[in-house]
Order: sequence, then structure tokens, then C-alpha cells
Amino acid sequence: MRKILPALFLFVFSLTAMAQERVVTGKVTSQEDGSPVPGVNIIVKGTATGTATDADGSYSIRISSDNAVLLFSFIGYNEQEVVVGSRSTIDVQLALDITQLSEVIVVGYGTQIKQDITGNVAKVDGKVIQNVPVTSFEQAIQGRAAGVLVTAQNGKLGQGINVQIRGANSISAGNEPLYVVDGMIINYGSLSNNGAPTNALADINMNDIESITFQKDAAAAALYGSRGSNGVVIITTKRGKSGKTNFTANFQMGSSKPTGIREFLNSDQYVELFREAAYNNDLADGFDPINNPADYPGSWLEYAEDEMDYMSGNGNPATNWRNASTRVNTDWNDVAFQDASMTSFDLTASGGSEKTSFYFGGGFADQDGILLGNQFRRISGRVNLDHKATDKLNFGVNFSLSKTINNRVSNDNAFSTPLQLVAQAPITPVRDPDGNLYDDSTNPSMFYYPATMEKENARFVTEVFRNIGSLSATYKIVEGLSIKGEYGFDLLTQNEDRYWNNLTQQGRDPLVNGYGQSNWTQVFNYTTRASVMWNKLIGEHAIDAVGVFEFQEASIDFTDAQGQGFPLKELTRLESAATPIISSSSLTESTFVSYIGKINYKFRDKYLFQVSGRVDGSSRFAPNNKYGFFPAASAGWILTEEGFLSDAGPLSFLKLRASYGFTGNAAIPDYIFLASYGGVAYGGNAGLTPTQIPNPDLSWEKTGQFDIGVEFAFLNDRLTGEFDYYNKQTEDLLFNVPVPGTVGYLDAFQWQNIGDSENKGFELVLDYAVVRTSDLTIRIGGNYANNKNKVLKLDGYQTEIHPTSSRYINSFIVGQPIGVFFAREYAGVDPANGDALYFVNDPDGDPNATTNSWNAANRIVVGNPTPTSIYGFHVDAKYKGFDLNILFQGVSGNQVYNAAGGFMSANMRYEDNQTVDQMRRWQQPGDITDVPQARLYGNNGANASTRFLEDGSYMRLKTVTFGYNFSPELASRLKLNSLRLYVSGQNLLTFTDYSGWDPEVNTDFLAGGNQFLANDFYAAPQPKNLMFGIKIGF
Amino acid sequence: MAISCTDELELNDPGAIGDNIALANDANVKAVLLGGYNALSNGAFFGGNTLRNSELLAANGEIVWSGTFSDPSDIFNKEMAATSGDATNLWLSAYNAINIVNNVLSALDVVNAADQDQVEGEALFIRGIAHFELVRFFGLPYSTGNASTNLGVPIMLTPNSVELVSRNTVEEVYTQVIDDLEMAESLLADGPNNGKASKQAAAAILSRVYLQMGNYVEARDAANRVISSGIYDLMPTIASCFNTGSTSEDIFDIPVSTADGINNMQTFYASTANGGRGDVEIQAAHVALYDGTDDRLDLIITDPVTLELRSGKWLNAFGNVKIVRLAEMYLTRAECNQRLGTSVGDTPLNDINEIRSRSSLDDLGAVTLGDILLERRLELAHEGSRIHDVKRLQETITEGVDIYSYSDPLLVFPIPQREIDVNGNLIQNQGY
Repeated sequence: MRKILPALFLFVFSLTAMAQERVVTGKVTSQEDGSPVPGVNIIVKGTATGTATDADGSYSIRISSDNAVLLFSFIGYNEQEVVVGSRSTIDVQLALDITQLSEVIVVGYGTQIKQDITGNVAKVDGKVIQNVPVTSFEQAIQGRAAGVLVTAQNGKLGQGINVQIRGANSISAGNEPLYVVDGMIINYGSLSNNGAPTNALADINMNDIESITFQKDAAAAALYGSRGSNGVVIITTKRGKSGKTNFTANFQMGSSKPTGIREFLNSDQYVELFREAAYNNDLADGFDPINNPADYPGSWLEYAEDEMDYMSGNGNPATNWRNASTRVNTDWNDVAFQDASMTSFDLTASGGSEKTSFYFGGGFADQDGILLGNQFRRISGRVNLDHKATDKLNFGVNFSLSKTINNRVSNDNAFSTPLQLVAQAPITPVRDPDGNLYDDSTNPSMFYYPATMEKENARFVTEVFRNIGSLSATYKIVEGLSIKGEYGFDLLTQNEDRYWNNLTQQGRDPLVNGYGQSNWTQVFNYTTRASVMWNKLIGEHAIDAVGVFEFQEASIDFTDAQGQGFPLKELTRLESAATPIISSSSLTESTFVSYIGKINYKFRDKYLFQVSGRVDGSSRFAPNNKYGFFPAASAGWILTEEGFLSDAGPLSFLKLRASYGFTGNAAIPDYIFLASYGGVAYGGNAGLTPTQIPNPDLSWEKTGQFDIGVEFAFLNDRLTGEFDYYNKQTEDLLFNVPVPGTVGYLDAFQWQNIGDSENKGFELVLDYAVVRTSDLTIRIGGNYANNKNKVLKLDGYQTEIHPTSSRYINSFIVGQPIGVFFAREYAGVDPANGDALYFVNDPDGDPNATTNSWNAANRIVVGNPTPTSIYGFHVDAKYKGFDLNILFQGVSGNQVYNAAGGFMSANMRYEDNQTVDQMRRWQQPGDITDVPQARLYGNNGANASTRFLEDGSYMRLKTVTFGYNFSPELASRLKLNSLRLYVSGQNLLTFTDYSGWDPEVNTDFLAGGNQFLANDFYAAPQPKNLMFGIKIGF
Repeated sequence: MAISCTDELELNDPGAIGDNIALANDANVKAVLLGGYNALSNGAFFGGNTLRNSELLAANGEIVWSGTFSDPSDIFNKEMAATSGDATNLWLSAYNAINIVNNVLSALDVVNAADQDQVEGEALFIRGIAHFELVRFFGLPYSTGNASTNLGVPIMLTPNSVELVSRNTVEEVYTQVIDDLEMAESLLADGPNNGKASKQAAAAILSRVYLQMGNYVEARDAANRVISSGIYDLMPTIASCFNTGSTSEDIFDIPVSTADGINNMQTFYASTANGGRGDVEIQAAHVALYDGTDDRLDLIITDPVTLELRSGKWLNAFGNVKIVRLAEMYLTRAECNQRLGTSVGDTPLNDINEIRSRSSLDDLGAVTLGDILLERRLELAHEGSRIHDVKRLQETITEGVDIYSYSDPLLVFPIPQREIDVNGNLIQNQGY
């Protein structure tokens, strides 16, 4: 035995030796979608042996020992080490490394490696927003980028979303960022004509998006000159890579529900409070119809009870409120919302040859809104092609076409909007016993026209065709010097088609007899651009320079036709209208001419500089001020490249950077500096009326922004982060200043460059890889931003500008944030008589003094409509085939004003149903409560005050996705590259003290400007979505 | 390239023209004058709200506002705030009309010589009636006797002035209104009414102004000039006066059609069955004022939807807004003759019987001032004259337990908060 053992060893050893030199083959795929990854570097660790994957992701490498360790590395992916052992086939899945410093980032007029960037740019990878069930990408990036505040106006699909980067600057011009898709400025904002903004970005299929970058500081945004002040959002769509053609198909379906419900009185409570409100009036008038029946005829109580007869089915005994057995209890919240389902399907293909690569994406989405009658559908296709004609000449083509069909509902201010149904009395049945809908006129039992009628008898469809395309040609003159020509366009055609039959409020007047409307809007926006790019490496000096000339023209052509008198309900197009009512058309155009220069200089890979300048001229500005110049400079210093920090323990990367520059804001209507007279009609004759007070000096709004930041990484880049402080000073605000009405313009405002504002704040981004092994990765990260916004100067003689309507309380006040809530302070209820009380707030008087006269109380600053803090944090975990992604998002430091409080929470002022808290009303002397005595048609505490103001902070479980990826072996047995099943939820939990439907609100009919922020007015909450999906790659 | 691009930056609004063009020639100035009428016809002004608000202030338990719009509700309840949309919109639309015609007056020299008087007269008519409506709502009543110290509204006579103006006294505004209307009457051609100013329209409004001041001689004479012109005739029935375009009885009205104009009296008074909002309900106390055989009761109708009573004067959304009818001239002439003991034009008795017989009422044998005032109240009910009559007659308004004297500051509109905020020279009214 002793002799045999060495022999055995020898034998085994020789076997091993025989196995030493052998070939290992395999395939490298992306863990994300199972697609092959070409060009992955593979080396045998500790040797010089290496290879790279081919176009199919396949490789073959010679190893000399089973102990050999293969190291797979590729930019953008985590490195992976694999011990070969006895295997001869080793397939590897690489995980994306989304925080790598060597990541390529799209910036204005170029791309840069993240660690070389001297400005503040936040990137959201397209992968994290894929298949999120929302209609436009801004909703999907909520909480993903520091300092980017996204607020959906309400829960209607395809409608307005407000995006603010580092706070609002402007009083009257736009505060939304500029959107650039594949280098072309596209149309964004609203083209709606019903008072509720729509969202032109909803036409973009976000599954085609490769990355979104937010250009936040001046170094990044000044490249966009007169339109950079609000930051720039650069969207890059996916492109093909040469190699085998890969297909992915994704199918998902799910359903939505409201995130929140506001509770209203049930019918017993309603009857009690309604009678009480009337009876209180009688007592106040010196009558007592309850204890003294002789007082009943002609009393308020009789009147109210008659009203309730009307409201409970117009006297129909089957539903009469007076009898407990026939009294109905309609929950109008339930009627306003519908069961909402959603389905979507996407197919992509990408690949190409050495010379030509392509990406194709097609998508179909069909989503119901949670509001009665709301539905959004989109079908879209995109082709991106790249072709190398010669070594020197490249062509690129991007082309997308989409059609969206949005079944819309009325704006939040209309009786016909679904959520205003909650104003109906719970004693009112939805339908009469014959099944016909009740309303306020044709089958009367209501005081307010109901959305139910609108749903069944009206049509409101907005159809948009959107074609965004671009062509480019790049020619390399010599190494390092190339020129590029580009042409891009965005063509948008929209029809808002509406029809109301003769049962609707709009169409039921016998003289009207059906009403139809068709609004056609066509927007054509094109850009032509010529660029020169030069880069040179001279020893330790790297220079990169770009020069650009750009011309952009946009026109909006609008035609409105309306008619009435439709012979039959079935004939719903304007051709059947007996009488044309309105036909009008308009055209507005704007042009921008720009010259842009940018130089980047890098010395020894650690000293970074960028200088840029842009000259913009625009038709939007007055003759005396057509052109503006917008320079910026920035510098960065990578300290970890310095000798003294080259071995800094756990610190693996440290960069300091600073920037300063100027941007402008040109987001104002066309022609506003001109004196103009517009057409009017009087008695059938055409007349002229002065419409605009001229200003021959009108110019840009100017923002100077300073930013200082630090980027760091610890523990071999396991912990990475970024911290920035910024100070934005905006002057010459574009301000539509109110002037005395005696000037004699109905719209007594004049556009002036006057006023100053500032935004100061900081942003923190952290990302930590808790575990990163090949089986298990756990990553947590988050971002936090704090912004202090302040108006520094208004028009010079006013220090406060208040809303013209008494229903709202947003003001502009020097020293306060834009749109600050400024109102009378509610002081509760006088225990002696049930009167609503307000604090007098006389600066010279008793601070606790109260009054029951709303007029006698002084207004004070009571809240901020814009969050001061916004944050998001996420956990991403992967274990073998499983993955889990969780995102929380939230805001704080803001208030929400329920402008409908004067109707729905007004201690039964009108017939409107009341929120359930109104049962706390004052009833008898000595009662201590915050709800005043009910007085029918009396205004007891219903005026605008802090009574209807609440904390608007919230935190949301924004997105949760849990998925399982089948192993490549199993997938390949099914002839697939990859197979993934997942469930995903959106807005699953909302943590807030707000008592309304949803604290994320900015009621749509007020959301057009910058003043009326964070108002709730029967605004629908965000949907809570839950869905299931399957994704295959082949 | 820079030069050609500069051209590209010079764009003009294809939907508007500059003031250099708007006031450059005869046709354009006349078009701007139409713009002045259009401003008068604003829904917030003679498009209806100013009529409605007069009635709401003087509700007196005879009508109830049951609508949800809070601004008119506050007017009805006499609890307006300085931020009232109605106060703001009346202010803005009246000054809008004034400014447009001030622009017209500044460009009279480009108007064809033959038309200059007419254009000037129409412009002055608009300026006069707009200042009059402003001072009636924003100033204390002339009848308080302190018109020369009470604040009225700023008088605006120059175009496009952004000056921070101060309020003129009530007396000064009335003086300006009379100057404008007298000048207008002298310049304008005779009627009939075609939705524009005429010699008689100016005289009719002038009679209102004088009546409001208690100057019965001038009010009588102005009313008499309208009647004796012979251009206008009472319609055969009261019902035929309403829900129509212009009739022979209309001295001035605001045209409304499916193509343009708005009738806000219809918007708020008509039942939902007629396409209105059904916000104003007539109460039994008002019905009780009529004689049972009075045809004017036929104009108080039951809302088929809510079964409330509503005015039948405002059922047609495309009917004209009646501003001044011939019947008012008879009533004014009768009242003044009665007060003065004169019979200019005709006797008060004949004038009143003229109005009564049209509504199937028996002729009176003798007439008192009270009879005349009651006749006026019934004939002109729900047409926007009530609060102004209450103020000049120094009557009271009773709402439940609250009694408002004719000079109660709560019956006067607040100067809009917007204007106070923008113009530090404006002094707010009492009570706001």
C-alpha cells in the first residue's frame, strides 16, 4: 500500500498535468436581459493570457490549470472572477455596475466619462424605468435624481406633470426644464384646450430610453443658453450594437386603484346636518318650526326638507329620504372611480453588422384611469440606425412615430369631472328605478350636473400623432477633427374631439340641442445644426473642443371649430351640426439662432477645466434686446490622482469641482413685447380691441448659478457619493406685472423684466454595495435635496402680489417662496355662538385677538406650496435568479390647500355633501370644536383661510418589483436567451397626514402658471398599480 | 449668416396688429370703436352681471341666490370681500371700455369727416355710461347729499395711461358723465336702436343719471326727448319685450347671438331646463306685489326642474340683454312730472296708464307718487335697476332680521383689492 500510494499520486498528478493545457469556452450575457455582451475582456488571473468575447458574446481561452481563475471585465459591468475547476464550458452573466466612475454620460453637445465631468449631472439609467406602468417617464424618475422635483397634477392619465430642477426661478415665465431627445429640443408642455394641461412627453415610449440625464448646474445647463435656467433633461434613446440580432418581448397586465379616499357623510349624517343647517337659520330668524308647528310653513326647515325630497329622486317615494327603508345611501366616491386595468406589450430588436447597427422598438399600452371614463392608449414605434459609410463618414437616423388616444375627462373645476360627484348628496340615487341617470335638469334630482351623465352622453377624445426624427452625418477630416451636420424635427398633430348630446349640460338647451367641438393643433419644430469637434492629446494635456451653429424654428398652428344643433344622437361629427358656433384659427411662431462653443481641458488626468459660451437670439424678445450671451466656467480636481492621496486607505476616489455660469429663461408666449390689437365681434360685426401693453425692451430672464461639489468613493468604490451646494440668483425676471386696471386693458398686465429670485440648496447622493458576490448582490442608495426658494424683488413698487380670486391663497411676497400661502388664520369656533373665528393678526395688536369677520382679519404667511426637501431611496437585491427593487420617494416642508374646502368642508353651506369631519360642528353654546355652526347658504367659515390648509409632506413606496430570471440553461432549453417573470407595484403605500385624496396634487385647471401651486380642488389621487409581467429574450 | 438670421428673428403675430395700424385709418378706428361696444358687452358688465348684481344687492327677501358661485352669493348676503371677482371684473371691464374709446377719441382726425360726429358721439356715450356704472357701484349714493366729498372712481380721459390715479369725488364723476352724454346726444344721429349709441340712447341714459341725482327737471326733459322723438313704440305685450333681439321698445341693448355676445342674466336666472344655472329664485314676497290680473305675472314662471319661481325675462341664451326700454322713459317722465307738478309731454296719469294697459291692468283714475314708484318696480323688475332706485329713493333693504339703509356701505362695492395692491393712491371704501 505504501508503495502504491505514491504511484497513485503520480498517476493523478500526471492526469492533472495532462489536463493542464486545455481550452475553456463559453458565453457572456448580461444579467439584466440575457443579451450577449461582445467585447468583454477575459484574462487568466495572474497571467498574460487573455481574450475578448465576439459579437455573440462567445469566447474561448486556453488555460493551464484547473486552479486558473478567469477575470471577466467590461465597462459598465461589475468585474467577475470564476474559478475554472474541471469545467470546460463556463457561461457567465455580468451584472451592471450603475455607479461606475468610468460610465459614459450624455451631456450637452457631447458625452463625457463621469469622472471627467466638471458640472453637476444626474443620470437615470433607462433600465430602472423600464416597464413602470405610468404614461410618461417623468413619473418613473420621481425620487431617482437628486434635486429633481416631480409632481403629478392629479391622477388623470396623460395629463400635466410639473418638473422642477433645483427650485423655481420665475414668476411668470416657465419653470419647467428644457427637454432634449437625441440632441433635438422637442415639444413639451401642454397643448390642451380644456383648461387642464396635457403632457406632450406622454407620446414617448419610455421603454425606448437608454438614459436620462439632468443637467443641473450652470456648467451643464449654460450650453443651452437662453433656455437653460430651469435645467435641461437630455434623453437618449437606445441604439443597436453590432452582433447577433437580439429580440426582447415584454408583456404585462395589471390593475389600478386610487391611493387614497376622502370620506364623506353617509345619508343619515347628511340628512341630520342638512336639516340642522336649515333649522339653525330658522332659530336665527326667530322661528322654531320643530317645537312650534305653526312656524313650519315657509320656514327654512320646510325649504330644506323639500330640497331633500328633490334630491332623493325628485319626490319618488321609492327612494324618498323621509323613510328609513327607502332612504338610499350612495357613496359617490365609488361612482367617481372605476375598475381600472392595464395591458402593455413591447417588442425590441437590436443588432447589426460591422458597418450598420440598428435598434427597433415597438410598443402598445392600454391603460384605464381610475377616474370614470379615463383611458390612455399608445402605440409607438422607433427605429434608430447607424451606418459607417467609410472610415471617415458615419450616418445616423432616428425615427419614431407614435399615436396616443386619450379618453379624457373635464378639468377639475367642472361639475362634469368625475370627482366632483362627491358633491352630490348621498340621498340621491345614481339612477331612477327605470335605470335612467339622474341629473340636474333632464331627469332632475341634483343641483349639480353629474359626471355620470357626461360619461354616457359625451365624448372627449384627444388623439395625438407624434413623429420625432433626426438625421446626422459625421465626417472625420483627420484624426481628432470632425464635422457634423444634423437636422431634426418634431411633428405633432393633435385633435381634441368633443361631443355632447342633448342630455348633457353643454348640449341640452333646446336652442343648442347637442354640441360638438374639434380642436386641431399642429406643432412643427425643427432644428438644423452644424458642429465642429476637435480633440487632441498632447502629452499630459487633453483638449476637447466643440463649436456649434444652431437654428431652431417652432410653429403652432391651431384651428378650432364648434357647432350645435345635432339632429340625432348618433350623428356626432360637426358635419351634422346645424349651426356653426365658433370657428377660429391661430398661428404662432418662434425662432432661435444660436452660436455655441465649449472647450474641455484635462491635465494629467486630474485637473479638469471647461469653458463654454452661447449666444442666443430669439424672436420672443423685443427689438432692443434680441440677443443674449451665456458663458460658464468650471473646474475639477481629482485628488486621489495626487501622490499624497494615492494610498488613502479606504478612500478610493475623491474629486472636487466648482462651476459658475449664466443661463436664461425664454419660456414665455410668442409676441408678448408687441403692442397688439386683436379681433373681436360685436353684434355680428368685426371689431378690434387692444389686447397687449407693449414693452420694446423685453428680454431674457437671467440666472447666475454657483455650484461646488465633491464626489467620493470608499472601499474600492463600494460606497460612492456626491455632495453639492448651489446658489442660483435670478434677475430681470420675466414678469407679467399687474398694472392698475384704470389703464384700460381687460388683461391689466404688462410683461416686464423686473424682479429677482433665488434658490439655494444642497444635494446628497449615496450608493452602497452591501454585498456583491456572484450569487448575491445587495445595493442600497438614496438621494436627498434641500432647496430654499425666495422671491427677492417683485416689480419695484409692490412687495406682495395676491390672487385676484378670493378662493385661493397663493401669493408672491418678497422674502418668501414663490406662490407662498398667504391667508387669514383660522382660529376655530366661538364656543358662545358657533361663529367661525379668525385671528386678527394685527401686527400692532393683541396676538391672540380673534374676530368673526373674515374681512377684519389680516392675512399672514401660513405655508409653502413647494417642498423644501425631496428624497428617494432604493434597495436593489439579486439572489441567483431572483431580483427585488424597492424605491421610496418623498417630500417634506410643504403644505396643501384644499380650495374646495369652502364647498366640501364648510359645515353644510350648500347642498354639497360634506366631509365626514363636519359632523364635529358646533351645536350649542359651550361646544368646543373647530367646525362652526351649520347655516344653510350662510358663509360661516367658508372663506379662504388656514382652515383648509394642511401639511403636504408624504413618503411613498413608489415602486416595488420582484422578478425571477430563469437560468440560461433552462431558457436555452426553451430556445430562449432569457426568460423573466415579475410582479411590480406602484404607489403601494403612502405615508402622510394629509386628509384628502392625495398630497401629491396641483389641481389641473390652476396648474398653468407658477402662482397657484399645491391646490387641491376635486383632484384625483395618484393610482396604485399592481401588475404582472413576463419578458423573454430570443 | 448673422444678417439673414436676424431677419428670421423678426416675427409678427399673424393674429394681431400693432397700435400703429389699429388707429391709422377710418376703417380701423371704427373697428376699434366696435371693440369699445364689445367691452361694454362683457359678461361682467352689460353682458349681464352688472344687472344681476343690482338685483342681488336689493334682494329684499323677494329673490334668493341659491347658486354656488361665491362672489354673487356674497353680494346677495351683503358680505362681499375686497377680493370679490365681481367688483374686480366690473372695474376692469368698465375701464377697458373707457380706454378703448379714449383711443378712438385720440384718433378722430383719421376718421372720414362726415362720420366724425357719429364716431365721437358713440365714443363719448360709451365713456359716459361706463363711468356712470362705475360710480353707481363703487361710490356712496348721490342721494346721501355728500357727493362733493364722497369718493367716486378715477375719471380716465387719456388713453393707455399707467398713471397711479386717485379717486375723483362722486360729484366730479357725475359731472363728467353728464358732459360726455350731453355731448354725445348733441353729436349722435337719431335711433332706432341697433345695438349702438344713438341720440335717444344718450338721452335715455342721461335721464337715468339725472334721476339718480334727484334732478327731476333734467331727467324729465331727457326722458321726454326720447319719447317725443317718436322713433320707439311700446311692444303690444310685456312678454314680447323679452327673449328676443331688439324690439321697437329697446332704446339700447346688447346684441347676443349664437356667434357672439353673452347674456349672463340668462346664465344665472334661467332654469337648467333652459340652459341656465337656475341660481336666482323669486320668492312669494315679490309675487305678492303684483295685482292678480297683471300680465307681468306671466313673466314669473315655475322652473320645470326645481319647481322654484324664476323670471321669464331671461330664458333665451341668445336673446339680447336689454339695457334701456321705452317703458322706463314713461315711468321716469311720470315720476318727474308728478314730483314737479308738471305735465311735460303728457300727464303722469296717462303715462302710467300707458304702461298698465299694456299689461292688461285697469286704468287708474288718479295717480300718486307711490303708484308710480310701484309701477316702476314691477315693470322694471329683474332688469337691474332695483338697487339704484332703492338708493335714490332712500329706501331700505330687509333680509331676514338684517335691515340695510340706502346708504349702507355694504351696498357699495369694495374697490378691488387688486387695484389697492397695485395703486397706493386708491382709498378703500368704508367697510372693507
